[in-house]
This record gives sequence, structure tokens and C-alpha cells, in this order.
Amino acid sequence: MDFAIDDATRKRLDVAREWGRKVVRPVGIEADVEGRPIPVGHPFFERCIERGEGRTRWGGPGSPPATGGSVIATLLLAEELAYWDRGVMIATPGPGLPEQSVLGIGTEEQKERFLGPFLDPDRPRWACFAMTEPSAGSDAAAIRTLARKDGDHWVLNGAKCFIGGASRADWILVQASVDPTKGRAAQRAFFVERGVEGLGPFKIEKKMGLKAYESTSFSLQDVRVPAANLLGGEERYERKAGFKAAMQTFNAGRPIIAANAVGMARAVLDESIRFAREHDLLGQDRVRDRVEVMARKTRMARLMCLRAGWLADQHRANIVEASMSKAVAAQVCQEAATLGTELLGLGGGRGDHLIEKLYRDAKAMDIVEGTGQIQRMIIARQLVGLPR
Amino acid sequence: MLDLDPGDELGLVADTARKLADDHLGPAVRIAEAARQPAADVFAAYTEIGLAGLELPESAGGAGQGALARVLVNEELAAVDVGSALALDPLGLALYPVVEMGGESAAAELAVGCAELGARAVGVLVGADAQMDEGMDLQGDVASGSVPWLPADRVDSLVLLAGESMLWIDRGIDLAPVRGMGLRAAGASEASFRDAPLRERFVDAAGAARARARGRLYVASLLLGVMRAACDFSRDYAQERQAFGRPIAHHQALAFLITDMQMALDGARLLVHEAAWRIDRRLEASAAAASAYAQCIDAARSIGPNAVQILGGHGFVADYPVEKHMREARSLSLLWGGFDAAIDEAGRALCRHPSPLALGLETGERA
Ligand SMILES: Cc1cc2nc3c(=O)[nH]c(=O)nc-3n(C[C@H](O)[C@H](O)[C@H](O)COP(=O)(O)OP(=O)(O)OC[C@H]3O[C@@H](n4cnc5c(N)ncnc54)[C@H](O)[C@@H]3O)c2cc1C
Repeated sequence: MDFAIDDATRKRLDVAREWGRKVVRPVGIEADVEGRPIPVGHPFFERCIERGEGRTRWGGPGSPPATGGSVIATLLLAEELAYWDRGVMIATPGPGLPEQSVLGIGTEEQKERFLGPFLDPDRPRWACFAMTEPSAGSDAAAIRTLARKDGDHWVLNGAKCFIGGASRADWILVQASVDPTKGRAAQRAFFVERGVEGLGPFKIEKKMGLKAYESTSFSLQDVRVPAANLLGGEERYERKAGFKAAMQTFNAGRPIIAANAVGMARAVLDESIRFAREHDLLGQDRVRDRVEVMARKTRMARLMCLRAGWLADQHRANIVEASMSKAVAAQVCQEAATLGTELLGLGGGRGDHLIEKLYRDAKAMDIVEGTGQIQRMIIARQLVGLPR
Repeated sequence: MLDLDPGDELGLVADTARKLADDHLGPAVRIAEAARQPAADVFAAYTEIGLAGLELPESAGGAGQGALARVLVNEELAAVDVGSALALDPLGLALYPVVEMGGESAAAELAVGCAELGARAVGVLVGADAQMDEGMDLQGDVASGSVPWLPADRVDSLVLLAGESMLWIDRGIDLAPVRGMGLRAAGASEASFRDAPLRERFVDAAGAARARARGRLYVASLLLGVMRAACDFSRDYAQERQAFGRPIAHHQALAFLITDMQMALDGARLLVHEAAWRIDRRLEASAAAASAYAQCIDAARSIGPNAVQILGGHGFVADYPVEKHMREARSLSLLWGGFDAAIDEAGRALCRHPSPLALGLETGERA
């Protein structure tokens, strides 16, 4: 295994570090203090666009398939940005979570319509992926949002929740079912464009942490989308590939979430050492013990994460490793934050220390993109043949 | 013999507290949090049923109840809203150093100073918190220092327990509000005092040890309440919520998680009750109380986040109470010296005995 990175990646990490320190972290703290997502008109987003963020990896009409570069490099960047603020990282404009699905199975026409505006965006633009529903999260095969064909349109009815950036997105890739009794095979994904009748109202959730980006509930009431908005086109679903499209998105995501969690754990570690130094605590065994536990487990989680990425770079199966990295890193991050608040003593209860914020942010990492329990199910299927 | 049956009288005290919590605290949690204090009628109801002077000696006008009554009441109130539980108790942790080191007359004075509805005496354990201890100067007739966080927006008396000494300040305390990780209904402030005149100073090693022990049970029992609320809510939710064709509680991973949480809570509660029983018998209780407190913190480290985990994404948002439980369990765990000071004290006390858990010791040896 070789986790070496090239000079270009090293440079990108340096740039991310500067941007993180100067901009990302302060904006994240601001959102946490204000208790709301970064508002759409916030100058942060303009700065993102100015520095060339928020673009698609798609190369434009007729371009060869986007490769996306090395997974290892992606993971290191994901760690570095989450180190500064994971909420802000997710809030950053761009085609986000659904981009991979569109690149993977979208038609050329869909890439042009939906990723085209992200080629050289004139303003901050977002897109998002809506799978989770009030009554179904982990059990993604049980979603109930109904898609009914009506002439050359689809009519969508249902409700979604916790969808990142939904109220500001140009379009939402909505996962729906043509027959909820048929599970995965009957699922389809639809581009639902901003402002279409029947979409909304949007309710921005009041989260414990990661406040910089919005997680939003909304309903779809007789939302009509043209047949051309069915991801991958009609034919593809005749070949019964519906659910896989969604699961592909999740697959690509696990080591990235793990890398985020590693970055957050590393932030706790650094803040803990800083606090201990400032308050002359580094001579205490109990303090050093905590620092050592944080560092040891964070290092372990990072290696697990990079191993999953390396396997992906080698085009080798990484199902077990990806889920392991995600399950482990999420818990390491929470444990580090717990230990960190203990170092702060009463200062931890004030509600204004970065470690306290990270304690609240961290919890989401064991929930998003497949909970810790779901990761263990995936691993156990491979390890011991756990039946579905 | 160790007797953990609260008996009829204490059972009634606990029932009364539970009823107050259900009738008054529960419906007004969010209002109290927004106002950073419970409503006036809640204070009135609390005082009327006699909880304001629960452990205050009868000679000082209190109900003269002991540690077991306290832990039962605290668990009941904290199970509904721990911030309110803190705000409602006018004497809080301050009572212990004052009564154990200054005696009943000092306790009576403390109570008189906090007689107004909403008044608060606040107790702080000094010597275990680097940030706070740095700037503390407790020599002479005046005290200077600051406390980074107190779960209060009003402090009528500040009682600092530092080693064998207790300092009581009731003038010259400046409060600056802070946000607080949780416990919002109690308020949250940074307190500072510069050359504040001492109302009293008492020095008494044995009394200080008893005060530390009682304070630890106070916090531990609040943690029990929060943990119980988190366990109950997440367990009920898990029996309702369906995934993969059955209640999530019936997937073994969650069934066992729920079981482990319940075991951690039950075990910690037994430690708290045993330590309270020892205190009420005036038996040596330093190690027992410190261990009970440490065990509650340890249990809360996992119960808080796991209750959120059981609700999945729903746990992460304020529509459900478990994220509040998670934050509040963590905040509480930082009060009264924290985990390290407790295990240090327990460890030292335990090592004085050749066989500290030998059977039969509990009735023989007195404090
Ligand atoms: C901050 C945040 C951002 C999010 N962003 C998005 C987004 O952009 N788009 C989107 O579609 N979704 C998003 N989600 C939703 C997220 O994907 C779901 O919360 C997650 O999949 C869990 O689903 P659930 O919340 O419905 O929990 P449930 O599925 O109800 O799970 C509840 C509990 O049951 C456990 N459980 C379930 N099944 C089993 C089993 N078989 N065995 C053992 N335990 C089990 C779970 O592990 C969990 O502990 C987000 C969530 C959060 C918190």
C-alpha cells in the first residue's frame, strides 16, 4: 500500500489549509453561534465562486468520462476541509452528492441540462440528493414517495427530510418509487427543479451541530416533471438498474465521511493540546493519556480510511474496508470530542469552545450515509454471511 | 445491612417530585429554556411543596431530609428538565460546604439570603479545573478569581470549596452571560470577582470531604435523571419506529444497545443510592460517592450519544429531546470537579483500606 501523494495534491492541501484557517473555520463558528445555516447571500459563497469552487467535474459536451482523480487525494482534502469545518464544507456550492450519479448514469442531455450550469457558474449554485423520508432512512428500500406516469410527465407525491441544501438547490435529485410494495427494483430518481409547483414548503431543521449547512424537510404534492427528468432515461430502468444508482452514491461516500470524521477528530486533538499548553496541563498524566488516546485512534481511523481509498484507486473491492473506516472514524471522532470536553473542565460547559462545537458536530458522522449499525450489517454480510 | 428501599416517606417525596416535574416542568421546558429560567408559578409550586429546603436542617427552617431524599428528587426532576431542576433549587451545591463546615446556623443564614423566589446560591469545587484555578486567589479576607461557567444567570451566594477550605462570597460577583452547552433553563454565566469580601471562611478537612461527597451525589443523581430520560425516550421510540419490516428495537444490534444502556443506568443508580445511604448513616462515603459520580459520568458518555444514535437523523434535531439529553449529560459531567478529581479521590480513599470492599464493613466503620 502506498499513500504517497503528488505535488499537485500537496499544493491543493496547502491551499485548502489556508482557506480553511482564514475563511472556513470562522464562517463555521459564525453559523454555529447564530444557530442557522450560512444564508444564501453570504459573501462566503461569492468568495467560493471567485476561487473556482462549486464547479462540476463534468468536462462539458462530448468530453470523456470524468475520472475524478485519485481517491486518496480526495480523502486527504476531505479530511483537511472537515478539520476546519465540516458543516461549511458541505454548505459550499456545487453539484454535491448527486453529481456522481449524474456522471455515472445520466444521459448526455441530462449532464448538459443539470451539470452544465455548474461548468462555470455565474453565481453560487447547489444541487442535492433526496433519499431519506420521515418514515424511512436506513431502510432505503422502504421509501414511499410515489412516482406515477402521466402522459409524457411523471407526477411525484411524498415527503423528504434532512436533505442537505434542498431549499437553495437549483435541482433536487429525488428518489421515488413507481410501486412502494416492490422495494428497490421499483425505485427511480428524478430531477426536480427549483420553483416547480407542488414542491415545498421547506422546513429547515434545527440541528444539534453542523449548523453551517441546511438540512431540510419538504413535501412533494402532485409535482409534475417531464419524462426527460428521469435520471438515466426510461430505457435504463427497463433494465432494472434503478436502486443501484442510489447505492452507488452512497458507496463512493463512505470513506469520504470517514475522512471528514478523521479531520474533526484531529481538530479536537489539536485544540486539546493547545488548551492543555495554554493552561499548563501537559505535565499531567491524565491529560497526556487523553491526548494519546485521541491521537492513537485518530491515526488508526485515518489509516483505515486511506486503505479503503487506496483499494478504490486500485479498482479493487473495498466494501468491507469502506464500511469499517466509516464505522470506526465516526466513533473515534465522538470519543475524541468527549475526552476533549473533559479537558476543558467548566470551560466546556460555556458553549463557546471549538471542542464543544465539535462534540455536537461529531454525532452526525455516525448517522449520515449509513448509520454505524448499517455499516456493521454490511461488514457482517461479508464476514459471517449475515442474511439480509 | 445496606437497605436501598426508600420506604414510604421517601417514596412519597419522590412521587411529589415526579408530579411537580410532570405537571409543571414538562409542559414548559422550551419556554423555560428560552427565558433561561422557569416561570414564576413553577418556583411557587416547588417552594410550596417544600423542595426548596429539602436538605436544609429543620433548625434552619428546612425539611431536614438526607442524601437519599435528594438523589430521588433530583432524578425525578432531571428526568424532565435538568436545567429547571438546577434553577429551582435555591441552595444547590452551595449548601454542602456551608452546612458540613459551618454548621446549621451557617446553613440557616445561607437560606435566609436566598429566600426570595429565584435566588440562587451556587457551589463550585476549586482545585480540579485548570482554567478556573489559574486566576484564583483565595488568600486573606478577600477573594479574586473567575469561574468560566456556572449554570446560573443570578448568583446571590457563591460558595467555593477549595481543599479543606470553604469561602463564601455574597458581594462583588460579576456575571457575564454565556450560551451554555445545555442546561439552558438554569441560565449560564461566567462569574468573576476581584477583591470580593468574604462572607465566611471555614476550614475543616472532614467536613470538606463530606461536602465533596454530597455534592458529587447531587450531580450524579441529576445525571441519573437525564440518562433515564434518554434511555426511556429512545427505547420507546425504538419500539415504534420500523425499519426492514420490524421495530428497530427488534434488530439485535439495537436490542443489545438498549439493554446495555439500561444496565449502565441501573448499575450507576445502585452506586448512587448506596453512597447516599452511607451518607445518611454518617458512614465513610468519600470513595463511594466519588465512584458513583464517576460511574454516572462514564455511563453518560455512552448513553447520551447512543440515545441520539437510536433515533438516527431524528435524534440530531431539536424536535426530539435526545440531542438535549446528550448535551446536558455532557455539561453536567463537568460540574463539581469532573471525572478526574473524582477518581483521584476515590482511588486515594480506597487505598487506605487493605480490602476496601470486604463484606460487613459497611455497618462497622464510621466517618
Ligand atoms: C446532518 C444530516 C444530514 C443528512 N443529509 C441527507 C441528505 O442530504 N440526503 C438524504 O437523503 N438524507 C440525509 N440525511 C439522512 C440520513 O441519511 C438518515 O438519517 C440515515 O440514513 C438514518 O436514517 P433515519 O434517520 O431514518 O434513521 P432510522 O433508519 O430510523 O434508524 C434509527 C436507528 O435504527 C438503527 N437501525 C435501522 N435498521 C437497523 C438494523 N437493521 N439493524 C440494526 N439497527 C438498525 C439505525 O442504525 C439507527 O440507530 C441526513 C441526516 C443528517 C443527520
